[in-house]
Amino acid sequence: MKKDRTGSRISLSMVMALIVTMLVLAVLLATLLFFIRLYQSSMEQNAVTTSEQAVVQVMNTVENYTKDMADAMKLIAENIGKPEEERDEFFARFLEIRSDVVAVATYDSDGNPLECWSDGLTVKKTVSRNLSYPGDMGERGFWISKPHVENLFEEYYPWVVTISQKMRFGDGREQHVIMDIRFSNIAAYVDQVGIGQHGYCFIEDTEGNLVYHPQQQLIYSGLKEETTQEFRGLPDGSYPRSRVIYTIHTLENCNWRIVGVSYVDELITSRVEHMVRICGILLLLVLVTATLLGVLFSRLFAQPANRLTRAMGEFEKDAENFQFVPVRGTNEISALSDSFGHMVLRIQRLMERVRQEEITLRKTELNALQAQINPHFLYNTLDSIAWMCEEARTEEAVEMVNALARLFRISISRGHELITLEKELQHARSYLKIQNYRYKNQFSYSFDIEESCLPYLCNKITLQPIIENAIYHGIDRMVDEGRIDICIREEEAAIRMTVTDNGVGMTKEQCAEILHREAGDRTGIGIKNVNDRIRIYFGEEYGLRITSELDEGTCVEIRIPKVKESGYEEK
Amino acid sequence: MKKNRKFRPGPQFYLIPLGALLLILSYVVGIRYIIRNLHSYGAENGETNKHYVAVITKSTTSAFWKSVFSGANAAGTEYNLTLTVEGPENEEDYQTQNEMIARAVDNGAEVIVFSAVDYQANAGAIDAAAEQGVKIVVIDSDVDSAQVSSRISTDNYEAGRMAGRAVLASAQEELNVGIVNFDKNSANGQQREAGFREILEEDERVRIVDAINVLSTTEDSQERTCEMLREHPEINVIATFNEWTSLGVGYAIREMGLKEETMVVAFDSNVVSVGMLETGEVDALIVQNPYAMGYLGVECAYNLINNLPVENRQVDTATTVITRENMFDEECQKVLFAFD
Repeated sequence: MKKDRTGSRISLSMVMALIVTMLVLAVLLATLLFFIRLYQSSMEQNAVTTSEQAVVQVMNTVENYTKDMADAMKLIAENIGKPEEERDEFFARFLEIRSDVVAVATYDSDGNPLECWSDGLTVKKTVSRNLSYPGDMGERGFWISKPHVENLFEEYYPWVVTISQKMRFGDGREQHVIMDIRFSNIAAYVDQVGIGQHGYCFIEDTEGNLVYHPQQQLIYSGLKEETTQEFRGLPDGSYPRSRVIYTIHTLENCNWRIVGVSYVDELITSRVEHMVRICGILLLLVLVTATLLGVLFSRLFAQPANRLTRAMGEFEKDAENFQFVPVRGTNEISALSDSFGHMVLRIQRLMERVRQEEITLRKTELNALQAQINPHFLYNTLDSIAWMCEEARTEEAVEMVNALARLFRISISRGHELITLEKELQHARSYLKIQNYRYKNQFSYSFDIEESCLPYLCNKITLQPIIENAIYHGIDRMVDEGRIDICIREEEAAIRMTVTDNGVGMTKEQCAEILHREAGDRTGIGIKNVNDRIRIYFGEEYGLRITSELDEGTCVEIRIPKVKESGYEEK
Repeated sequence: MKKNRKFRPGPQFYLIPLGALLLILSYVVGIRYIIRNLHSYGAENGETNKHYVAVITKSTTSAFWKSVFSGANAAGTEYNLTLTVEGPENEEDYQTQNEMIARAVDNGAEVIVFSAVDYQANAGAIDAAAEQGVKIVVIDSDVDSAQVSSRISTDNYEAGRMAGRAVLASAQEELNVGIVNFDKNSANGQQREAGFREILEEDERVRIVDAINVLSTTEDSQERTCEMLREHPEINVIATFNEWTSLGVGYAIREMGLKEETMVVAFDSNVVSVGMLETGEVDALIVQNPYAMGYLGVECAYNLINNLPVENRQVDTATTVITRENMFDEECQKVLFAFD
């Protein structure tokens, strides 16, 4: 139900605040994710480009280096066929200039060492295992080995690569010329290449063997591992892995590949994490603000509005007894509350006035009714008096006339509605006297009155209609002598009057009906009229109660409050 | 009625200033956090003051220690540390080492990476340094101190056992063993000898004829080994436990021309001892990983400075047995020869 809003605690403003918060949250999150995504992809692209550039640069340098090696090899080939003296002089000069060349040696086609030139190193008498000789090269003319230790010389074990070439001399002999090269030149260059903060380059051959790595010793010591095998057979290009981007380029003139390693993580993740953290805090702040604003809004506007609504609902249910407590809040709410308060007051005043007017109207109406005298009763009574006069029953006629006069005087009572019980009893007695004459003592009656009740006020013509009813409906149809007992008792807070007859009685339905039926032509003012008047004047808790049993009689009980002359005016 | 309608703040209206206060408070905290965050982010990039780590070793001249230094320098460069590397001139000089410790503490070293000459005699200086708040990482050779944060070394017992197994691999029917060890107070030498003896006890062929302790120099060990060989000509196996004594034993064998008759199991490698391995004076080399020792020692120091978790209190670096047969295998090349 609309009025029953107190049960649920969800208010519109709360829902609004929640929705706004959620929306802000969602939008912020979406934007954040979007930008992170954008940032990440652009950073990744950036990293790939940087890596690519660095690797290409290294590749060019290394390519030049290997080209240089090939040139050196060519130079050796040109000179190796020369006479011994000239040749030795050439090698001495060559090795002096090319400090990175450790040794040049020749082997016959079976792998037996022939000659060896070096820059002042002592060749061992026995070489336990020759690491420089490439073995059967097959059809390959020019070949670069993977790195190994040079072990041809005493107390000198540098790491070298061997470049070897098959050569055919004029006399048809086939020889292998090998050149062992240290890496110092190219190493210094490769070491300096950096990609990003921690990225680097290394050289591997197409078989996946490491040729040169800036941290080769770390790898050889087992402290670091490098992914080398994974790229075997893969074409050149960039390969992003979870945290690392590998960029690979293969040299054109030999079987080396340059691999660039750059860390996606350090480039992006830390910054992204940073951004996420800041955005998270911002989100939290927004959330707190939104929540607080929501609460504030609710406190300032929604709750007072709700209270007003509730007040209106209560007013709707029970306008008469509604007590308005003004609702505090913002200016708008106060204005609303004030207006409503004014309205309530005015409506209540109007209602009161209407009620009063209604009561007045009813009273007037009833007074007009009771002022009417049943004409039949008057004719009959006058007939009786005329008949007494004819029979010269003067005394009785006088008494009848007196009784009739008293009856009318009290009926009118100078327009007052309330009269003392004493007068009311006089009225009832007069009426009973007249009727007793008329019914020729068909019934008897008695009064049993507590003297203390007499000064209290009651509506005029209260007892008479009830007695009339008892006579006409109870006793008139009886064969035996009827009896009417009137009894008045003072109780703690009220006065109880009972009119008991031993007439034919009524059913329960008749009892109920009699209180709601308007008076007919023949009777005076009806019992309903009496009941209504008592209630209008004294309230709902007073009035008539009828108990009756068929063939036993009827008892009508009238309750009125204890009100004395002065008391009523104050009420 | 009229009085009631006047605005009087109810309890819920005290919530407004309270809420505002809370809001402002949370804003202040949040913004301060952001600013601090940005600040630290900037500081992270442009770090100005480097941390200082002192590496103090037994000696500086041997190939072993040079390799340790190059490992330490590699880590120092990688982690952007200020690194000093020093050691006494001879491997018995614990007093100079203690002075070096004190000096490093005075110079504001945050971590000392240390290799003790003397297990007992260096303990006081290390404890004193630790009291000043300096963290201690031990490499290679241990010191008798409870203040050591982490130990990075060869498992010396196991290295000794490996030497023992290398001896037992000999086909000779009788193994008369002579032991040439260095300073008795050095922890690692004693551990290696203990491991070596433990393995030899298992074999009935073995008889340990003599065991001597020499100065850790080539000359002294050469001289004393010759003496030992003259005194006990039956010796056909010699075991020795560091680089210098290895050379001394090798030279002694060369001097006496016993390279065919005598089996020598030596420790560590340099170009000379590798040459001896090739020519036959030495038959097996127990090669440690000094580069890793230096690198891991400094790396550990970095972790201690930055309060990163130091996973192992005790790190064992790898040891390999190199013989004439396998010395030029690809893996052994990597172990035996430094890539400079």
